[in-house]
Amino acid sequence: MRAVGSSIPRFDAQDKVTGQALYPGDIHMPGQLHMKILWPDQVPARITRFDVSKALAAPGVVAVLAADDVPVNEYGLIMPDQEVLVGRVGGLVRSIIDQVALVIAESEEQAEAALDLIEIEYEPLPGVYSIEEALAPEAPLVHPEKGDSNVLLSYRIRLGDVEKAFAEADVIVERTYRTHPQEHAYLQPEAGLGFVRPDGKIEVIVGGQWMHEDREQIAHALALPEDQIVVRYPPIGGAFGGREDMSVQIVLALAAQKTGRPVKIQWSRGESIRGHHKRHAMIARAKWAAAKDGRLLAAEIDVSTDAGAYAYTSTKVLGNLTLACLGPYEIPNVKVDSRTVYTNNIAAGAFRGFGGPQGHFIAEMQMNHLAEALGMDPVELRMKNLWREGSRLATRSVLPPGVTVRETLAACARDAGWEETDAGWQRPRVEDLPAAITPVHRAFSLDAAGGRKARGIGIATSFKNVGFSLGYVDESWATVELHGAGAIERVVVHHAGADVGQGAHTVMRQFAADFIGVPLDKIELIADDTDHTLNSGSSSASRMTFMAGNAIRGAAEEALRLWREEEERPAIATYRYVPRPTTPYDPETGEADPNIAYGYCTQAAEVEVDLDTGHITVLNLWNVTDVGRAVNPAMVRGQIYGAVAQSIGWTLLEDLKYDRGQVLTDRLSTYLVPTVLDTAIHIAPDFLENPDPQGPLGARGMGEMPFIPTAPAIVAAVHDATGIWFDELPLTPERVAMRLKEVGIEDQD
Amino acid sequence: MKPPPFDYYAPDTLDEALALMAQHGYGAKALAGGQSLVPTMNFRLAAPSVLVDLNRIPDLSYIRLAPDGGLLIGAMTRHVQAEKNPKVADKHPLLHATMPNIGHPQIRNRGTLGGSIAHADPAAELPALMRAVQGRIKAQSARGSRWIPADDFFQGFFTTALAEDELITELHLPPLPAGSGWAIEEVARRHGDFALVGAFAILHLDGAGRCDHVRISLFGVGDGPMLATTAMGVLRGEKLDDEAIATAAEAAAQKDVDPPSDVHATASFRRHLVNVLVQRTLTQALARAAGQEVTA
Ligand SMILES: Cc1cc2nc3c(=O)[nH]c(=O)nc-3n(C[C@H](O)[C@H](O)[C@H](O)COP(=O)(O)OP(=O)(O)OC[C@H]3O[C@@H](n4cnc5c(N)ncnc54)[C@H](O)[C@@H]3O)c2cc1C
Repeated sequence: MRAVGSSIPRFDAQDKVTGQALYPGDIHMPGQLHMKILWPDQVPARITRFDVSKALAAPGVVAVLAADDVPVNEYGLIMPDQEVLVGRVGGLVRSIIDQVALVIAESEEQAEAALDLIEIEYEPLPGVYSIEEALAPEAPLVHPEKGDSNVLLSYRIRLGDVEKAFAEADVIVERTYRTHPQEHAYLQPEAGLGFVRPDGKIEVIVGGQWMHEDREQIAHALALPEDQIVVRYPPIGGAFGGREDMSVQIVLALAAQKTGRPVKIQWSRGESIRGHHKRHAMIARAKWAAAKDGRLLAAEIDVSTDAGAYAYTSTKVLGNLTLACLGPYEIPNVKVDSRTVYTNNIAAGAFRGFGGPQGHFIAEMQMNHLAEALGMDPVELRMKNLWREGSRLATRSVLPPGVTVRETLAACARDAGWEETDAGWQRPRVEDLPAAITPVHRAFSLDAAGGRKARGIGIATSFKNVGFSLGYVDESWATVELHGAGAIERVVVHHAGADVGQGAHTVMRQFAADFIGVPLDKIELIADDTDHTLNSGSSSASRMTFMAGNAIRGAAEEALRLWREEEERPAIATYRYVPRPTTPYDPETGEADPNIAYGYCTQAAEVEVDLDTGHITVLNLWNVTDVGRAVNPAMVRGQIYGAVAQSIGWTLLEDLKYDRGQVLTDRLSTYLVPTVLDTAIHIAPDFLENPDPQGPLGARGMGEMPFIPTAPAIVAAVHDATGIWFDELPLTPERVAMRLKEVGIEDQD
Repeated sequence: MKPPPFDYYAPDTLDEALALMAQHGYGAKALAGGQSLVPTMNFRLAAPSVLVDLNRIPDLSYIRLAPDGGLLIGAMTRHVQAEKNPKVADKHPLLHATMPNIGHPQIRNRGTLGGSIAHADPAAELPALMRAVQGRIKAQSARGSRWIPADDFFQGFFTTALAEDELITELHLPPLPAGSGWAIEEVARRHGDFALVGAFAILHLDGAGRCDHVRISLFGVGDGPMLATTAMGVLRGEKLDDEAIATAAEAAAQKDVDPPSDVHATASFRRHLVNVLVQRTLTQALARAAGQEVTA
């Protein structure tokens, strides 16, 4: 049996479900100290008094560390615009994400108690808490040292002549869209352990997404060579982009260095919610034009995202969004202006989809509105404009081969009841779709309640880049060792890709088994620390299967050659996979070959709307993602279920609330993530396998794609049910009910 | 977080438990299903110095027919036992319909009816149900026992008429008046969450089709379960139709409640939901009173 293509159980499943797996929070060392972080309670503010002497004298306290204790007090994945610790007289607090000081004590209780003894006073400063406030003339500056504007970065794309196209168009749709931040809410809040090893190196055991990047940032802040730092990833309790930047990594290393003892930290859920970045909030104005026959003529978009107080990966997310907001369509005239702006909110950064969900909310909502304005079926309109093999992007480059967005749309539309007729694609009548409310749901008055209900159906499609973009040189290293005498008895694979719960380490084993031609149980994977593995990049950008597969293939082929031709024993080969190069946006025109490769996904949603309470039940969610090659079909479906749960949460439920930079929803009882009952009653996790010529055995990335089209598909379904467009997320019952009340709706039954 | 240290007793008899409650008074708390108490202790919102675990006491868990045709339910009866009990389904369809709306199966496997009443969460179903059906709560202490009517039992935000040394041992749910109609509806942000707003309605019509008995009990909108007395006044003695129901619902929303705003919903949305749910429950109750099948 070949390993690739079979749903073998994840090798880590047993340990995880039986509680044997040790996550960073479960790992302890004898003699360890406990660390607590002092968080700021005013934003923005200048620290006017800062005295740690009482805390330092408190029982059990071993050290109190603040800004002056950090050798190089700066960090940041894209640019070092954040201080590791801000605690000092004159220190500037820009956001509640800032860490003021560290208290390290013999027990957690002692550390906690000593936090209160740090004497600190703040002088409040004027802040900006929204994109609009940040862009207003004379707005207070979040980073006054960075010039006279809160704009962190902007991009533009110019193609053709939009004004001329608008003048000639039959139909123009102009709308404003807003999307909201999202919390990753992974199972395991940030935790870890730092200690000085007998060899003098500082080791940090932590959950992350890119151990070599963690190491680089720790080394920079501690002013140590990188080889003096070891980062180790045990099983990781989920990530979704939220562990791509630093949280406890640097402070653990610093505390270990300063105390010489092992130091443990465990964040609460509240600390996790305030202490790591969020999905970007977005505001966009979009004006698109089409001809009567449905051909898109022009797209003009002005979009801004809320970067929060620090850059994190905001610039990269903006790069993706700048392309995603045009959707997977051929549009001859394009004008995009995009920017990301500093505010005093929690920093924003990577989150599953990485700008794709916001971008496609703009593009797919525009397509939905245009279909209505043209009186055209939404599938038919999309089919007229979707990318094909050889299509050019608005950035003038040709798409890499393997363009299958049409295939996903056709398959998904059929699943959801659309029919391709002589007159084009035609949507199903909801009355003809089978009812989907189950007895389980009838028990809850939430879905089953009497009252006025309306059903509707909607569809949306999407693309997502695979791998790092816009000129970043992506790479992935792997080493393969073949051991044995006559036959290969044992294979050791070294690869630093993080398994953040998505099953990457199982996929790597499957690839290795097939590339080398041995059964799975001969494969041993070493993947968990920077001492034994080379840089493999982040578990993000839907890139790990694609990059790791290609790297392991290269190393396996070379090792096999050494084994056969050179008869080396063991045969050891190291390979660096570098995909085809990409280029950055031209600052004036946006010209670029932005991405290595793409994945495509379409979803249709059927909803029932309670016209009085505003509660939306997703009855059906049909998904079709082109995954190129399903290395492990069960895990592919798992990714689809998970992405859909997360995107339905974003669309309907999750609502991060701020009050002037303070987060009001810092618990899972106030920040509501969906339970299994709150996703969709029925999810069809279908996928296609049209190979990507660049992918290992044809595999495409797929982890983010099923998040992206959900929101516009649901909004279209709600419009179908109620006749009302919601251009702003989330569709909370309050927002829906109040709009329905205001607009007044005819009973549709 | 973990709770601060406390002493733990697991008495085998009710008398022992009552003696412990008398001895430790204010610092003592009963532990029933622990579904509310343990989280509040972990968040350090409650820090009892003594826990008296009621789980080993036999005979506090039962569902019996009361002489009046209603139900007598032992305080330690788990939610799931009431949910799945055929006597409840048969004799008290309103309680039966209520149970699945309390939390999730995991919660209902542990949580108890007595605990829910004692906890008196303003957004909980059972306290409001007790007011709707005019139930009674049996409070027992080393000093003796007394029956407290539900209307007097709930006294405010997580506050009840129980004295420090008293335990709830039994609940009495009188039968619904013969021929009456009933309904429960609630709206929560997620399945199994505490309600944003919930409503119970019970009504009965006299021979002439006029309303001679009505109870509308609301939860999630005040500091405890509350009756929509103005709305009830609107209906009493009237012939009920859609218009009367709409008027009553509007009165409930505008006059009977002064709901809070929080991160889950604004006060005005809660008011809107009171209107919607009172209307829905009255409509269903009326249909049932008229002998119609209601599937919702
Ligand atoms: C996730 C979640 C969701 C939930 N959703 C709902 C919901 O939708 N609706 C709802 O109503 N509830 C809900 N609950 C609460 C649940 O129903 C609780 O079980 C119930 O409120 C308390 O019952 P308990 O037996 O667990 O009591 P405990 O938690 O053990 O005790 C609660 C309080 O009552 C006191 N107490 C308990 N028994 C007695 C007694 N016999 N005499 C005197 N005092 C006593 C305790 O000292 C304590 O103060 C939810 C709980 C969770 C964790």
